[in-house]
Amino acid sequence: MSTTQEEFRTQEITINMGPQHPSTHGVLRLEIVTDGEIIKAAYPDLGYLHRCFEKHAENREYLQVVPFTDRLDYVAAMNQELGYCLAVEKLIEVEATPRAQTIRVIVSELQRIASHLLAIGTYSLDIGGFTPMLYAFRDREHILGIFEELSGARLLYNYVRPGGVARDLSRGLEEKIREFCRYFVPQLVEIEELLSGNAIFMDRTCKVGIVSPDMAVAYGFSGVNLRGSGIDWDLRKVRPYSGYEKYEFSSITATLEHGVIGDCWNRYNCRMKEMHESVKIVEQALARLEAGEIMAKVPKAIKATGEVYLETECPRGNLGYYIVADGSKQPYRVKVKSPGFISLACFDELTSGMMLSDIVAFIGSLDFVMGEVDR
Amino acid sequence: MNETQGSLKQYFANIREAVTSVSKGMGITFRAFLKSNGMRKQLGSVDYGAGPVTVSYPEVKDDIPLNSRNRLFNHVEGCIACNQCAVICPVECITIDSRKKTADENLDERTPAEFGSKPKKLKLLRYEIDEALCCFCGLCTEVCPTECIVHTPEFEYSKYDRDKLTYDYLNFKDDNPLPKG
Repeated sequence: MSTTQEEFRTQEITINMGPQHPSTHGVLRLEIVTDGEIIKAAYPDLGYLHRCFEKHAENREYLQVVPFTDRLDYVAAMNQELGYCLAVEKLIEVEATPRAQTIRVIVSELQRIASHLLAIGTYSLDIGGFTPMLYAFRDREHILGIFEELSGARLLYNYVRPGGVARDLSRGLEEKIREFCRYFVPQLVEIEELLSGNAIFMDRTCKVGIVSPDMAVAYGFSGVNLRGSGIDWDLRKVRPYSGYEKYEFSSITATLEHGVIGDCWNRYNCRMKEMHESVKIVEQALARLEAGEIMAKVPKAIKATGEVYLETECPRGNLGYYIVADGSKQPYRVKVKSPGFISLACFDELTSGMMLSDIVAFIGSLDFVMGEVDR
Repeated sequence: MNETQGSLKQYFANIREAVTSVSKGMGITFRAFLKSNGMRKQLGSVDYGAGPVTVSYPEVKDDIPLNSRNRLFNHVEGCIACNQCAVICPVECITIDSRKKTADENLDERTPAEFGSKPKKLKLLRYEIDEALCCFCGLCTEVCPTECIVHTPEFEYSKYDRDKLTYDYLNFKDDNPLPKG
């Protein structure tokens, strides 16, 4: 080997991305083997945010677990609570009152909008667009304001309870949510205009990180990540809960508008389009909101036997709760099936051959939250 | 995107595409700049939208809803030492000690007509909340039969020492004044 060749010889270098990297969206550490700018392999390293949720749940009463479920996916806390409460309701065979069910639909769809806004805002920030992030956060702020007035907290609500919801809508809040829906749709179109057709954005996201439909099913993807691969699977449609069968909305799947099915752009686009559907659901739910009780008759100390598994459609995919009850006040076992953990499983296969800068776009498009992955 | 970079026609088409898509984005920015006050009116009472939205915090304070869940406070004169808040707390941040009242003791400062229900049976000896542990879930305020433990909208009570966040409500003292009510 000549000296010039030796000086310029290439070698594989292992680099660490995270756990404090801003674009890993939480405390995810990626061990990346690189050959120049090409990634040979990437291994996700989890557990930096492990807080023993499942063990904690075994030592708390059923009601006391609800604040802990907030902390799983802290940007979509309402949906996490709803999943747990529906599972407990199924266990003790109680159904929430009609008004509570409608309120639940309203809050979980508003939360879905807030979560998608955060996902899209930070995604555009990751790949260099600053303005959409500010716009998304501005509109998310309204939703947090509504939730603060409704439940008293801005992020970790502890609002949905087994049997109903904790507080009724305060006076004027209904009109405020209606106002928000009217205000939000033009703003959403504006954010869409900024991103969807933008040449730079499309260059970074189209044909990057392609998850084929077969692969998405094989890994067990769910939610937006699965629909972005062109498979129409929405639990709100397939297995309706909380009265979702009464609402008119369509589940959004990938289109051939730009890029290919299953790439980052399509996952982003599904998220964007889904917010329009959520606004529709919120408006319908407000129209059918009827007076009545917000809490069904639930025993003060919940005791149950048996086991139950229930999945709900969360902003990040299908979140499942498996609860085993042994007749005592506390659950015997609570297992969470988290969609983000499954999204991370495909890293090894998909990232080899990818450019190093594309992995940032890929991580952002999968949109996982480490609180829910590590639990 | 750059498959047909070779042809001259494509070269100019690329430039045109880049210019149009950038100007589209810039157009939105300028629109927002021009109507910075017009968009505020759309949301009625809520004052956000284009235009300055940052609240210069220590000088100007944002409105916090009265029912927001921040710092806990216990009005001990109403507390009947029933221990329900300590039991429901998922993080066990409330400590209560009590003893049975003796026969000649009257624990109620109010007259029987005022407290309505039964007189107190337990004497509260200690009521402590470790605010550093509190997770602001609000479960204690919901189970409280006399509604003496409440979440206040007060949120500015950070301390330099962690131990100072443990409050004894029987002889409550704090550097920060508490809001009334």
